[in-house]
Amino acid sequence: MRRPLTKLLHVGLVLFAFSQVFPLLWVFIYSIQKSGDLFGPELLKLPHDPQWENYARAFTDGHILQYGLNSLMVVTASTVISTALSFCMAYAIARMRWKLKAFALGAITLGMVIPIHATLLPNFIWFGYFGLIDTRVGIVVPYVAFTLSINTLIYLGQLRNLPTSVEEAALIDGASWPRILWSVVLPLATPATVTVAVNTFLTNWNEFIIANTYLATDELRTLPFSIIRFQGQYSSDYAAQFACMVMVAIPPLALYLYFSQRIMAGATAGAVKG
Amino acid sequence: MILRRRDRGPFENRLVIAGLVLPGMAVMVFAMVVPLGFSVYYSLTDWAGFGDYQIVGLDNYKEILTDDPVFWRSLWNVLLLILVTVFVQNPVAFVLAAVLSHLSEKMSRFLRTAYFIPAVLSLVIVAKLWVDIFNPTFGLLNKVLIAVGLKSLAISWLSDPRTAIWAVIWIIVWQGFGWALLFYYAGLMTVPREIEEAARIDGATWFQTYTRVIIPYLTPVISSVVVIDVVYSMKQMELVYLSTGGGPGQLTQLLGVHLYQKAFVASEYGYGNALSVLLVVVSMGMALVVQRLLRGGQDR
Repeated sequence: MRRPLTKLLHVGLVLFAFSQVFPLLWVFIYSIQKSGDLFGPELLKLPHDPQWENYARAFTDGHILQYGLNSLMVVTASTVISTALSFCMAYAIARMRWKLKAFALGAITLGMVIPIHATLLPNFIWFGYFGLIDTRVGIVVPYVAFTLSINTLIYLGQLRNLPTSVEEAALIDGASWPRILWSVVLPLATPATVTVAVNTFLTNWNEFIIANTYLATDELRTLPFSIIRFQGQYSSDYAAQFACMVMVAIPPLALYLYFSQRIMAGATAGAVKG
Repeated sequence: MILRRRDRGPFENRLVIAGLVLPGMAVMVFAMVVPLGFSVYYSLTDWAGFGDYQIVGLDNYKEILTDDPVFWRSLWNVLLLILVTVFVQNPVAFVLAAVLSHLSEKMSRFLRTAYFIPAVLSLVIVAKLWVDIFNPTFGLLNKVLIAVGLKSLAISWLSDPRTAIWAVIWIIVWQGFGWALLFYYAGLMTVPREIEEAARIDGATWFQTYTRVIIPYLTPVISSVVVIDVVYSMKQMELVYLSTGGGPGQLTQLLGVHLYQKAFVASEYGYGNALSVLLVVVSMGMALVVQRLLRGGQDR
């Protein structure tokens, strides 16, 4: 009695998983067909003769290489900076004793609530004073600022669970603070570092509205723009559009599949602890 | 000396504390707090984004609150989104997480990975993907409906006023589902086996075990997830911007898109900033109120 029921349950669960992944599969299937095939009456036309040249077209017309490198630069910079700064803040909150600590933690937590697009309008004036509009730095700064809150909280969860004895011993031995943080604490906090770095990378890799609004120079634009570009300029070339979407989706998917356990463990730490 | 200097240990070294905290704080002040200050200032003007402007006091706010149906529509849409997330997406995610927690680790890990895939995709891809699925001529959804003989239901989902907001909510809920599942699964993993077994020994059915033992145990987790749902909903903007642009007839509008269009399309920069300030105020207010309400519920 139990066996068939369990089997049925498994089938149901796999079907549900399929529904989460199916739209992507649909895009992939039509990315290797001719654009006209999309308009056929059949639900899903399996490709007999895969049109891989769609990918070549998407790659050049979508400026994948250039936009991809731009994304890589902006996102790597913001990930490294945000990880470093949030580690320092979390350490000061977890270990050091200072008066404004509770206030600082409250302010950092509140920062999580503010949507990044709330700065969309005022930054035109404020960043304008520093010549940061239409520059990479002008994108990196908000990308760092808007990931600091969550990252600090993830690090805080980890640091509070680490013993203090090692640091105290190192202090007595006369080690300097930078040395303690870099070679004693940071290695112990590696799980949190992986979570923080991967999450920041994914968030900023996928960020669209700030990049789209503030980067007007084509040489600076980031990867999500390649899809927008396609919609405008080659709107009837559906096959290449779909190919473009697949290529843009691959880097975050690969990163996620490789690190999925760490992302999940870290991302939930905050919620479960309340 | 009567006054003895307090002995400062290394963990109270002010220079070190400042060195650790100030850089991060400086970035947050520079890219979050000061822009908000600018927004407040420009929200009190009638600036178009170019040329001269005048201080108009609270006129923009007055207009938004009394004479801007799109503002209220945007709030209503966010409320709908929150309600669907909390009362439809979350329960489904919870049940699924509960089932997953009884499976073998291998199977459960595989499924969790699959369920989470939409959550790591760029919103640009998600928006484009669903715009194509909902497309009236070649979209997958209408092809399915026609195939099963429901041709009358094959409509233009994202531009029909009856369905547009539900289609948008569906996309957001679909993408966020992986997160809800993940949070509940992690929560369920913290439930001690003993309390589950004790309930079983007392003769509770599995349904009673969940409703009387496990769910009450997980109340703090559920509260946190609801707060996260509210924040997540308030942060939505790009999906509407990329799929419907707020249409048809502003029916799917969200505050983020409304302020963008006011400032950059209608050249009402001052007015857009007032919307921006209200967005932050409403986001913070909602998060705090929901958190207080849920915390209060727990104390009793």
